[in-house]
Amino acid sequence: MSEKIKLPDGFRSWEADVKIGKKEDKVTIGHWAEGCKGCAICVDVCPKKVWKLIEAKNKWNGQLVIVDKPDACIKCMLCEIHCPDFCIKIF
Amino acid sequence: MAFDYEKYLRMDKIPHLWCPGCGIGVVLKAMLRAMENVNWERNDTAFVSGIGCTSRAPGYIDCNTLHTTHGRGLTFATGIKMAQPDKNLVIFSGDGDATAIGGNHFIHACRRNIDMTLIVVNNNIYGMTGGQHSPTTPIGFKASTTIYGNVDPSFDICLLARAAGATYVARSTVNKGRTLEQYIQRGFENKGFSVIEAVSNCHTQFGRKNNMSDPISSRKWIEDREIPLAKARDMKAEDLKNMVITGEFITEKSDLERWENYNRAEKEYTEAYSDIIKKVKKK
Ligand SMILES: Cc1ncc(C[n+]2csc(CCOP(=O)(O)OP(=O)(O)O)c2C)c(N)n1
Ligand code: SF4
Ligand code: SF4
Ligand code: SF4
Repeated sequence: MSEKIKLPDGFRSWEADVKIGKKEDKVTIGHWAEGCKGCAICVDVCPKKVWKLIEAKNKWNGQLVIVDKPDACIKCMLCEIHCPDFCIKIF
Repeated sequence: MAFDYEKYLRMDKIPHLWCPGCGIGVVLKAMLRAMENVNWERNDTAFVSGIGCTSRAPGYIDCNTLHTTHGRGLTFATGIKMAQPDKNLVIFSGDGDATAIGGNHFIHACRRNIDMTLIVVNNNIYGMTGGQHSPTTPIGFKASTTIYGNVDPSFDICLLARAAGATYVARSTVNKGRTLEQYIQRGFENKGFSVIEAVSNCHTQFGRKNNMSDPISSRKWIEDREIPLAKARDMKAEDLKNMVITGEFITEKSDLERWENYNRAEKEYTEAYSDIIKKVKKK
């Protein structure tokens, strides 16, 4: 992880080499599972099916998301912008 | 690059109390990014609200915040702005808070064109109190007070704001976080009263009664009805029924200066008021 990337406490991170158009890049996807309410909006807005909904024990609706295909990410930021719960960070 | 929301939040209050997938969080985030874009200092900014799910928003922001009574966020904010005209004032309101119980305050804040920004999260329902119909519940839709379908026509919040004298008016939806951010930023930059309507999903109270009880289908319902203003201009009224017309309805520079300026004050409200004070003191 480069020095610029600082995820808050409790965030899990996934790193991958990605291709955006023809450009090679790196992505770090941060997700805060404890705050995630499993609403699945990130799954819905992601054009590359990076996110996956799984069952989980939590006080919300018994589901949360994990990163399934980090290397497919095109860093469009749609998931970060539309997560209503401050749980996603894309670097 | 990821945005540092933590900088602006009271993290001990997060996760917030809104339902999983509630659109209010998306609007709050857009607002925080807009705040960063205009470089407002947290100490120079106050967030004010009335009562409702939407009105809980200021409680999560680590700035000067005030949670007041139902529909009266604008009146408290007006008081703060009059006492400290150099501060930035932002008001969060639900469709019920802003246009039902607070409807009168809403039109008069527009009329004064006082330099503040009102963000109305329009989820077509009273979310907090159990899904009663609001002035923006579409005709035919169900609420706990319209169990056979609503018969009351809706307010168009943007047209209302425009007619009443607000000088920046725009509408977008929770499906378009970036556009919301841009409109809210322009609202902040406008020296006068700005109204940004964010069409949002309350799947818990509105959706559940209208066959879209999850956030995804409620968001889709909003997306499917969205029509950009430029396109709507050429459409027939019957085709626009219950549609969500999005875009900037008014910017000080465009329509207002041309032909709607005939009864507008020449100065922003707090400036005009301080002129009066100076004049009286001289006597
Ligand atoms: C004077 C007064 N009347 C009624 C209420 C009950 N009440 C609380 S919130 C609310 C409506 C909330 O709807 P809206 O403003 O659309 O916000 P939302 O919860 O949908 O975000 C009502 C009627 C109150 N708190 N005070
Ligand atoms: S940034 Fe875009 S592509 Fe990457 S995970 Fe988020 S929504 Fe998917
Ligand atoms: S949008 Fe946010 S809260 Fe909803 S499932 Fe995705 S990470 Fe969790
Ligand atoms: S009741 Fe509706 S408006 Fe209130 S938090 Fe739940 S989804 Fe959001």
